[in-house]
Amino acid sequence: MIEVKGLSKAFMDRNGEVAVQALEDVNLTVNDNEFLTVLGPSGCGKTTLLRCIGGLVPWDEGEIAIDGNPVRGPGQDRAMVFQSIALLPWASVLRNVTFGLELRGVHRSEANDTARELIELTGLRGFEKRMPNELSGGMQQRVGLARALAVDPDILLMDEPFGALDEQTRRLLQEELLQIWEETRKTVVFITHSMEEAVLLGDRVVLMSARPGKIEEIVPVPMERPRSANVDSVEGSKAFREVTTHLWSRLRDWQVDVGRARR
Amino acid sequence: MRSAPSEVTTTGGGRTRVGHHPPSHAIRRVLDSAIVLRLLTLAVVASLWQLYAVIVGGLLIPTFTGTVVEFVRLLGDGEFWQAVWVSNQPLFIGFAIAVVLGIPIGLLMGRYRWAEQFTDVYINIMLVTPMAALIPILVMSIGFGLAARILLVVLFAIPMVIVNSRTGVRQVPPMLIEMGESFGADERTLWSRILLPGSLPAVMNGIRLGLGRAITAMVIIELLMIAVGLGGLIINFRGAFQPEGLYAVVVFVVVEALVLISIVRWLESKLVPWTHEAVLASE
Repeated sequence: MIEVKGLSKAFMDRNGEVAVQALEDVNLTVNDNEFLTVLGPSGCGKTTLLRCIGGLVPWDEGEIAIDGNPVRGPGQDRAMVFQSIALLPWASVLRNVTFGLELRGVHRSEANDTARELIELTGLRGFEKRMPNELSGGMQQRVGLARALAVDPDILLMDEPFGALDEQTRRLLQEELLQIWEETRKTVVFITHSMEEAVLLGDRVVLMSARPGKIEEIVPVPMERPRSANVDSVEGSKAFREVTTHLWSRLRDWQVDVGRARR
Repeated sequence: MRSAPSEVTTTGGGRTRVGHHPPSHAIRRVLDSAIVLRLLTLAVVASLWQLYAVIVGGLLIPTFTGTVVEFVRLLGDGEFWQAVWVSNQPLFIGFAIAVVLGIPIGLLMGRYRWAEQFTDVYINIMLVTPMAALIPILVMSIGFGLAARILLVVLFAIPMVIVNSRTGVRQVPPMLIEMGESFGADERTLWSRILLPGSLPAVMNGIRLGLGRAITAMVIIELLMIAVGLGGLIINFRGAFQPEGLYAVVVFVVVEALVLISIVRWLESKLVPWTHEAVLASE
């Protein structure tokens, strides 16, 4: 269980004054085995929230605890998947997937065995020896996912992992992620700016607003699992439409407000 | 079996038409290959050189053919190889020092602000100062020996190595470093797993540029101040009005430089295969 209490973080400008209030008094609980999606306009601090949970950046106020233990930095219980994918360009697919395992001192042969299982799971079989620049964006992100799953984390932190992919690849990877999640049941925090993606994947959708980055609403998604086998009927369902319509009505209001403020 | 006699009756002209490519394609392919092009440009340059030497001429303009003959003679001359040996000592020792010192200095400067602040001024001085101006100072302070020549080679080569290594570390994408940290990498692991391999292409580039500067330094100090080795030979040939010898030595220096740089390039391709063009896989 991830508990975020009263989390605030500001980015300063050169004069030491607050330039952006990235997060303001964020309170959030992520249950074990929950798939939580965080939705918001760009610049709303959702990525900052994820980086704080990942222990990659310090914050100003508040607490983050995982199973009661305060977060002080990156830990073995968490693994991240990045929008920029961040594969090592000099390492093969296999070596990229074993990266986290080798850092944790797992023996090479054991790491290879684990990596092969995940390469299989993520649909990368036959690509073990390829270099990242020989792969398409979708295949690269499969490697990123396999690398994160290889260390068998309790929590998977995904920062707009499909944001840079084209629509077809994105759909395909959403379905496969659902499938993988249904098999592994990790706790997932998934950042996105796509309403459909947030609703399709999540148990709950955390809606954030920008400047200051605040949680506006947490919307439960009342759709049955498993969803991976019948994604099309899930997306055609009444519940799906109701949740997305509700999310859009909120998001649209802010857009209109921003438009008025500019005028 | 019935077709066999008809094949026999076809003439030679018929057979050429059977070839997969028309002859013009074959010629184009030969012309396109890099070696042929290089030989062609060489032939053009050599002919122009020969024509100029014969028609215009002059006491210090040798012919191309004369230079080639002298070049071959030098290759069989023990004294010439003695000069090559003398020149190459400071080149190799100085270049090795520049690489061994320059890479760590550059890498630290690229990563740590304190290292940058500590050395930045000196690197900039080394980059903007015409190094040849330092030769008299060097010779006055440490004499005409090997040490002065080694030091000049180091001074010429090391800025290239340092600046490129520094760039290499800075070019490592921050996202890769963050990725490493997310998997729990400490500073040492970041260096071995991400920063060093990530800066290798730029480091190799610095080594190659540094080598070019080292060769320049080797020749310059021998020409300007300490007349030994190949530079000394050039001065002697000039003094004796033997332009063929002078040109032949210059050609030798050029050839040596090209060979050394190809070795570095080859090393680069072995160590940094991932920068090479890749074939896109279809999903």
